[in-house]
Amino acid sequence: MELKDLRDKTAIVGVGYTAKQGTVPDTTVMRLALEASKNAIEDAGLKKDDIDGLIIQPVMGSTHSYTIGAKLGINLRFTANQDVMGASSGCIAQHAAMAVALGQANYVLCLYATTEQSGRPFFGGGAPPAGSDFAYGAFGAPMSYALAARRGMYEFGTGPDTWCHIAMNTRKWANLNPRATFYEKPLTREDYFAEPWVAEPFRRADCCLVSDGARAFIVTTAERAKHLKQPPVYISGWGQHQHTADVVQSKYLTGPSAARESGADALKMAGITLKDISACEIYDCFTYTVELTLQSYGFFKPGEGKDFFKDGRTGPGGEFPVNTSGGLLSEVYYMGFTPLTEAVMQLRGQCGERQIKDPHFILASGNGGILQTHSTVIMRR
Amino acid sequence: MMQSQSKPVPVADIDTKPFWNYCKQHELRVQKCSKCGKLFYPPNSVCLNCLNTTSEWVKLSGKGQVYSFIVVHRRYHPAFAKEIPYTVAIIETEEGVRMLSNIIECKPEAVKIGMPVQVVFDDVSPEFSLPKFKPA
Repeated sequence: MELKDLRDKTAIVGVGYTAKQGTVPDTTVMRLALEASKNAIEDAGLKKDDIDGLIIQPVMGSTHSYTIGAKLGINLRFTANQDVMGASSGCIAQHAAMAVALGQANYVLCLYATTEQSGRPFFGGGAPPAGSDFAYGAFGAPMSYALAARRGMYEFGTGPDTWCHIAMNTRKWANLNPRATFYEKPLTREDYFAEPWVAEPFRRADCCLVSDGARAFIVTTAERAKHLKQPPVYISGWGQHQHTADVVQSKYLTGPSAARESGADALKMAGITLKDISACEIYDCFTYTVELTLQSYGFFKPGEGKDFFKDGRTGPGGEFPVNTSGGLLSEVYYMGFTPLTEAVMQLRGQCGERQIKDPHFILASGNGGILQTHSTVIMRR
Repeated sequence: MMQSQSKPVPVADIDTKPFWNYCKQHELRVQKCSKCGKLFYPPNSVCLNCLNTTSEWVKLSGKGQVYSFIVVHRRYHPAFAKEIPYTVAIIETEEGVRMLSNIIECKPEAVKIGMPVQVVFDDVSPEFSLPKFKPA
């Protein structure tokens, strides 16, 4: 069997949101996880006992997937905690797809939940840096990504003038999404440059949100998907690639990130080329990540990011929609679950004001470990 | 809390302890695989190139250049308040390995990628001397 034999053989059939997103005080990770799970099951038109697989991204505290299964009152034939940082969502979808394709499970619930916003340990969120970084006053992901981004400025001639367009285009999508944290907050060029440094060269608007809430989706076979409540969204291709290099030693801070290998595998499996992609839902933990990810996939050559995002090209009404929910920068930060579920909703045609016209293939990415881990999932109607 | 007022120090474990011990003597040393000869850092129990488990600690010249840097303008930790704005940088040593560190004795706005730098040791506690870098 080859991966391409699984092309369009599995589907995402349910998406679960939490009623409240962003800042949700006085709740627990477990409550949010169960709410999103229930909503995904109802969205798919399933009964809870149909769910026999569960994979979670365990940044949700010390929770284990079987504990959540127990709280949902379901028995599991297939379960796992999976963590490759920001690449997890796509990797979870891949494992879920393989499990249902092989009959290990019928319906796999995939889940992420967090109360990082209300209980966050320090500004910027993310995992505490390891080793000696603290001793040098280097605290967390924003600084590590900023180090990569500064090198990117040097090599590509991009920088705040480029990232400002990414931030503004993404914000315009959020301004069309009532669930988005920044739904009612526009971002102008002046606003962008007026924002304080988080870690120069990153301003506040270059960095993702930190959020409370949860997001879930359900994977099953294409055959079962045909008889469910929602229009099926088929998984056409997938890939993952982990450089697993030490961040400081990494050869990949200016790419090509693992998006290159991950994307090539996904396109090959789907039997398509980049030209067939209608829109991208990119893991936008930082604006620079969007530049480097699209560049590493091959949508433009190194340095061409300078013009790629201009004139609202990736925003609403633009020719190449990117991060149509407002993404991690402006909707909500549920790791790769934010971009992946948005791709599903766009392909279902249920995105209201922000709905893009007639999408056929949408690519969703996950990226983590400071540009070292990557996952790609290509979906179609 | 007293602790929150002092700067965090590195964690010295079985792998990293030799590195910090050499730093205490103001020597910048990294591991060299005794089989394939490749240098590697941060400290590791196996060679990243060939998984060999023996290595020797070789002395670096202490010279290098700025590979990338950021400027920190806000207070992430009370102990760094007085140093804002300060520079966190990735230094590429002459020998090729890179290290996360600070650029000192240089205004943040004067730091440039490719700028030649030289190691200086900051004795932050009886146990730890941090290798930092100043313009060469």
